[in-house]
Amino acid sequence: EMHFGFQTVTEEERREKIYQVFENVAKKYDVMNDSMTLGIHRVWKDMLMHKMNPCPGTLLLDVAGGTGDIAFRFINYVRSVRQRQLQRKLKHHQNLSWQEIFESYQKDKFNSLGDSQVVVCDINREMLKVGKQKAQHLGYSEGLSWVLGNAEELPFDDDKFDVYTIAFGIRNVTRIDLALQEAYRVLKPGGRFLCLEFSHVSNPLLSRFYDLYSFQVIPVLGEVIAGDWKSYQYLVESIRQFPPQEELKAMIEDAGFFKVDYENLNFGIVAIHSGFKL
Amino acid sequence: SGSGSGSARPQPLEPSLLRFLVCPLSKRPLRYEEATNELINEELGIAYPIIDGIPNMVPEAARRTHKKPPAEGSE
Repeated sequence: EMHFGFQTVTEEERREKIYQVFENVAKKYDVMNDSMTLGIHRVWKDMLMHKMNPCPGTLLLDVAGGTGDIAFRFINYVRSVRQRQLQRKLKHHQNLSWQEIFESYQKDKFNSLGDSQVVVCDINREMLKVGKQKAQHLGYSEGLSWVLGNAEELPFDDDKFDVYTIAFGIRNVTRIDLALQEAYRVLKPGGRFLCLEFSHVSNPLLSRFYDLYSFQVIPVLGEVIAGDWKSYQYLVESIRQFPPQEELKAMIEDAGFFKVDYENLNFGIVAIHSGFKL
Repeated sequence: SGSGSGSARPQPLEPSLLRFLVCPLSKRPLRYEEATNELINEELGIAYPIIDGIPNMVPEAARRTHKKPPAEGSE
């Protein structure tokens, strides 16, 4: 017996219901994120990227990455780091061969991502479709691939990735312990686990306003924008059911990660948990 | 390439993915079969489809390949 929002369901029912939720919301997912969080989710995701601070050559696995928000940010980030690297090299000229100087003027061909790669893995076909379309629309292709897979049973080999991210996804996983074990498995030694997720607000006054907003406003927005009250009701309820910061930290440690800590954003409305595989 | 092109040639797999992908059940390597655009686990005798260029790496999506019966105790 498990929870689906505030309902009690079997494990199988939960998976199906969650799949349905995301199938229904996929096309409106980005619009709803902006509306519900007043655009602040973009800042949260930027902060996640900032914390990751990836250097060119990084291999990222973004799980539950559906519509690509983290993946695109990653690509932008490493691309600009790479550009700065190249500019610094150019300025000094000393270490570059004529070949390199020539190539640097042909930005497209000269490894603008520095061999960085991101694999987006999601269990929901509709979300991946939206993500892929967005990528095409925004011009992302290099260093990006899409896989339909289950966070609890990843189709990736051991010790492969430098970073594993799961942004606003772990809440929807039915067996979080399995997902964390899989995250540990696929990371290289020295690799980093990063989780961005709604968490618990301890401040009682803020908590009251947050609850009010969550339960009164968000499902209404869901109905008005996506024509789907129930899915957003689930979303709001699932946030309340999700373990708070310390509990999630303990679960991450149980999976084998070291140096696990978390950072609250907006007083705990959202938290970034981080851990390392040593 | 756009969506809804069901009758067009199937989108091939991103080659770099083969470095990472394994069977989600056995975590063993897969073989890419270009003819059927599938990823085959020979040991278990199952094949994962690639749809619109996206490999569907969940057991529910896999089919038996009938080449040889799956090994005992593989599930």
